[in-house]
Amino acid sequence: MNDSVLLLSLASAIVIGTPILLAGLGEMMTEHSGVMNLGVEGMMLGGGVVGFWMSTQYPSVPLAMAVGAGVGALFALIHAYLAVTLRVNQIVSGLALVITGTGFAGFVGSSNDSALIYARPQASLEPVFGEGMRELPLVGPLVFGHDWVVYMSWLLVAVAAFWLFRTRAGLALRAVGEDPATADTVGISVGVTRYVYTMIGGAGAGMGGTYLMTEIFATYQHGITAGLGWIAFALVTFAGWRPWRALVAAYVFGALRNLGFTLQILGASVPPDVLNALPFVLTIVALIIISARPAAARKYSAPSALSVPYSREIR
Amino acid sequence: MSLPLGAFELTVERQQIPSRLVRMAAPTASVAFGLLVGAVIIWASGQDPILAYTEMARKGFGGRLALTGTLVLATPLILTGLAAVVAFRMKIWNIGAEGQLILGAVASSGLGLWLGDNGIGGPVGIVLMLAAGALAGALWAGLAALPRAYLNTDEVISTLMLNFVALGIMNYLIFSSFSHWRDPGRATFPVGRFVDDSMFLHRFTGRLHIGLFIALAAAGALWWALRSTRWGFEVWVTGDSPRAALYSGMRVDRKILSVLMVSGAFAGLGGGIEVGGVLGNLDPRALSLGVGFAGIVVAALARLSPLGVIPVAILVASFTNAKPGLQVLGIPSEIVTLLEGILFLCIVGGEWFLRNALRLQRRAGPVEAVPS
Repeated sequence: MNDSVLLLSLASAIVIGTPILLAGLGEMMTEHSGVMNLGVEGMMLGGGVVGFWMSTQYPSVPLAMAVGAGVGALFALIHAYLAVTLRVNQIVSGLALVITGTGFAGFVGSSNDSALIYARPQASLEPVFGEGMRELPLVGPLVFGHDWVVYMSWLLVAVAAFWLFRTRAGLALRAVGEDPATADTVGISVGVTRYVYTMIGGAGAGMGGTYLMTEIFATYQHGITAGLGWIAFALVTFAGWRPWRALVAAYVFGALRNLGFTLQILGASVPPDVLNALPFVLTIVALIIISARPAAARKYSAPSALSVPYSREIR
Repeated sequence: MSLPLGAFELTVERQQIPSRLVRMAAPTASVAFGLLVGAVIIWASGQDPILAYTEMARKGFGGRLALTGTLVLATPLILTGLAAVVAFRMKIWNIGAEGQLILGAVASSGLGLWLGDNGIGGPVGIVLMLAAGALAGALWAGLAALPRAYLNTDEVISTLMLNFVALGIMNYLIFSSFSHWRDPGRATFPVGRFVDDSMFLHRFTGRLHIGLFIALAAAGALWWALRSTRWGFEVWVTGDSPRAALYSGMRVDRKILSVLMVSGAFAGLGGGIEVGGVLGNLDPRALSLGVGFAGIVVAALARLSPLGVIPVAILVASFTNAKPGLQVLGIPSEIVTLLEGILFLCIVGGEWFLRNALRLQRRAGPVEAVPS
């Protein structure tokens, strides 16, 4: 039964959902601080390409992931400086970051001495659990069949949910995103909070990009993210800024990426272009439903100060 | 805010109206700084930055062929820039120009093919095609405008999402179906059917077509409308203070609808012009190049001035035009995209100097006790 098409495609939905989840979870933390970073696609490409380069130089996936996260965070630092310190329009700065990250990845990937397009990672990840557990019916491929990055992403979801809604630091973070002036009054540094969480968002995107290139595709191509960064951005809204919902939503979006193949095997043919657009349609629908219902809007809407620059002098 | 520097202190003050010197110097210095950062990256990668920059300027502006190529690329960028200007003026963040442009191209190529199939062409066909593009762009923006106006649904996300839906529609029409748009003769490598030659926009020299002048006229029209009409005044008031607009009796919901749809119409017109002036068919490979997103940055760099969009769009287009030429020299053409992004970030950051004044003052010394 573990060879059934449905089960295999669900398992691969988890795999492709993981970079979406890592990047989306990061962006979610960023947005909770009141900063909107549209540059996820750029940070994923920019961080991922350096992470991938690391994996071709040295046989360690954790090192590659760490490097990718670091570079992603550096890209986010640019956005933080522009959005928080210089208080420029966050949409413009985020889109400029997409262009920069895409150009950076293309440039690094094609300069002659590196030629990343032909390079392969020196290491790849093995499943964490033994064969016995992986062959269990149903839960084998779905729960026990993955590498450690997938389990780390689950852990990160739990940590994010706990952090946001059960700790003092999380409360401070949400206060900065909801009402920075009040947060400032009680002694929380709005600037530092926004810088830190914007960079965490970049690290998530960089990790997601590195995982995509080193593990899922094990190769670098121009524009390899193919819109996954934008899906990760949509994920935050679709999940109503809640980590556990993001976990489910990431796998739903991941499944939509694979559904075309699955349906083809099952004999039904749905064009991939339609399926690729579905996550975005779903996000619009969710957004409209939430905004049409005031009770839901209070619970699952964006942080009040999202993309509003804060200055002590202008209230 | 102030920073002590020995006997002096550097203070930062907000200012409403920057001096003329700062207005000129800030963008120039930002561009220079961006080019410097770019030069370091080019140099670090083992290329000659001076050569890269001179080649970029030459391939963008040197000679008739380069110049007309740049102007052709600038045309859709001017229109998506205008789309961002009109919406952003009212603080309605339409980041869906990409999708509105695509839908404009879908509608105008679709209508153009249908007209051709029914023996209609020539100037009438061209006008109808372009009108269909603008209308489709407006309606596509309307999909986000309606929930924004009546449910207060965040338009940033909805317009952004609609880009990818539009992309899906276009890809479906060409790659995954045997639609009206697709050339039935080409099964293995799908392409769009071409509209009748009589519906191509008039060409002057090289690839330069009349679309540029339509875009320039659109910029002039928007400049006039924002400056001299009641509608423009209401856009300005609503953007500044929706509450004041509401209390003075303006219909803010209708204003949101009209502004977003006008914005979409500009982008959709851009799609129509691309089909009529450059492509001749619905070509997904040529229509998903980020013109919509670049238009937003262009509008921001032009400080939301409809006429300012024109030179900025031409400059950005010259970069894109230089790409193939650089590749020939062995410089990766992606450096252009990277440089574009760095310049955008630097210029956007440089805006800070327009809103704040730096003053170097002698620090006030400690008050000395006067002996009595």
